[in-house]
Amino acid sequence: MTDIQAQPLRPSYERALVTSRYGFLLVQLVLLAIAIFSIGVAISIGQVHIPLGDSFRILVYKLSGIEIGDIPALLQGQGANIIWNIRFPRVLLALLIGAGLSLCGTIMQAAVQNPLADPYILGVSSGATLGATFAIMIGFGSIGFLSQMGVAFGAFAGAFGAAMMVMVLAGLGGKMSSVKLVLSGMVINALCTAFANFIIYLANNTEGIRTVTFWTMGSLAAAKWDKLPLVAIVMGLAVLFFLLQSRILNTMLMGDEAAVTLGINLSAYRRLYLLLTAIVTGVLVASCGMIGFVGLIIPHLIRGLVGSDHRRLLPTSIWIGGIFLVWTDLLARVLIPKVELPIGIITALIGGPLFMYMLIKKGYSFGGK
Amino acid sequence: MELNVRDLSVSLGGASIVNKISLQVQEKKFVGLLGPNGCGKSTLLKSIYKVIKPDEGQVHLSGTDLLKSSPKAVSQLMGVVGQFNDLSFDFTVREMVMMGRTPHKKLLDADNAADFRIVDEAIRKVGLEAYSSRSYLSLSGGEKQRVILARALAQQPQFLVLDEPTNHLDVKYQLQILNIVRSLNIGVLAALHDLSLAAKYCDYLYLIKKGKVAARGEPKEVLTRERIADVFEVECEIYDIPVTGGLGIAYLASK
Repeated sequence: MTDIQAQPLRPSYERALVTSRYGFLLVQLVLLAIAIFSIGVAISIGQVHIPLGDSFRILVYKLSGIEIGDIPALLQGQGANIIWNIRFPRVLLALLIGAGLSLCGTIMQAAVQNPLADPYILGVSSGATLGATFAIMIGFGSIGFLSQMGVAFGAFAGAFGAAMMVMVLAGLGGKMSSVKLVLSGMVINALCTAFANFIIYLANNTEGIRTVTFWTMGSLAAAKWDKLPLVAIVMGLAVLFFLLQSRILNTMLMGDEAAVTLGINLSAYRRLYLLLTAIVTGVLVASCGMIGFVGLIIPHLIRGLVGSDHRRLLPTSIWIGGIFLVWTDLLARVLIPKVELPIGIITALIGGPLFMYMLIKKGYSFGGK
Repeated sequence: MELNVRDLSVSLGGASIVNKISLQVQEKKFVGLLGPNGCGKSTLLKSIYKVIKPDEGQVHLSGTDLLKSSPKAVSQLMGVVGQFNDLSFDFTVREMVMMGRTPHKKLLDADNAADFRIVDEAIRKVGLEAYSSRSYLSLSGGEKQRVILARALAQQPQFLVLDEPTNHLDVKYQLQILNIVRSLNIGVLAALHDLSLAAKYCDYLYLIKKGKVAARGEPKEVLTRERIADVFEVECEIYDIPVTGGLGIAYLASK
């Protein structure tokens, strides 16, 4: 065919740095370096300022046993304790949560083929709120370990339960289409919110209401070493699994019918992905409450940079999501002296304008036309 | 590859859409499905390419039982250009065409030099070389359709199913798409809506009415004044086009 009459009207979308294999590897290494640098900065800044060099030496010593300079003297000070027992686990948790939210957001957007999807779309947010509200206001009483786990368990159970109900509801009466999933999510959201409000209204417990409100705004303040392994293991497995699914995720974006003609029966995969993201999101919500915007905006941001191919999109948005949350958590800690802001406020304050910029900017259309 | 469809019946939501249709596409033949909107053409095609489960019947592509094979096995043999190709997320043209390699890939396989060669060749065949790094969603309808065709070509299919591939296209692109398809020299089953185009390109036609085969044969046998009046409910005259010797259809008025 010799009838290409016009050159492309818009600028070429070639992204050499991210499409060539080595360029992409380089980008990943740079992101790793940025992540390490961000962790370093985040553990040094706070109410007590610790020089970057000192915190680096403490970390290296704690992690590998290598002594750089006068370690015993450093360990004597309060810095070592703050860094190792308070800030480092918190920063690591932020990295994991950010990466997880951004991973789940990317998967959800592909699974329901909707650019508005985020990790909380399948009723997870209100389900978790309902569970947490129940735990805070009524409690699990004396049911052994449940009273220990309390809010975290309530949030996980609520999130997971809501997601399961959405999937069952969307699957009733035939095929589980993405429209049915989104609508079922809205219905379950409304119901869970109603129940949660009902509990709050009847309980008439001012202290409890405050706790619930803070919970829904998210916080990493409760991060401790013993909370990390569960989140780390769940995240590690999820990242590993989904990185291997990139090809299937790509065909998912082609739509159900086209995917079948490319040899992939989507409905089974969609079910599996939704189930897994529900578990991961449940664990994330249980450990830090609700942190909005990250799972919605990071995948879009990265799509604008590296394109929709999940082989590049997934690893990049996992890194950026983690790094983003490390910095927002830092802001939440230091923005107002002696006050710890809920991190959800910061993510929305940064995420909102960023989203506006993307809406205004040309060249990225959120999947629309 | 020979396609054999035997006694295929499909019902959707309780209504019978396709009623015991049998058809055959012989080695390297271009076979057209014609019929008014809602006659069951698309449903028939969808059950051949496994999007809809038929109630009964058999579909064989040479030795392969399509209804009993996995989608992956089928997609290695058969390419499909469907009607709905809207995306919720954007890809470049090259990325879209590269998806056509999916059937031949294991989960962890990377795209290799051979894949890139096949993809570039497919893009060249549809004449979109200059567009390969363009965003798919920024393309016009005709260009999009050519990308989807290129994706099907990248599957290196031995059989092609087309569901109204020239819908919404300018005459030029209608001809272009059908020319490309015919030049592949593989078996093709295509639902078409333009009778003159069908007459020009198809070796054999099936005329479908209300889920049943109303007529079959070579274009000149099938496309008669009486049949078109019966199936499409329009009056027309059939004539030989003086310049090309092809089959001309002049529509008069609806019944």
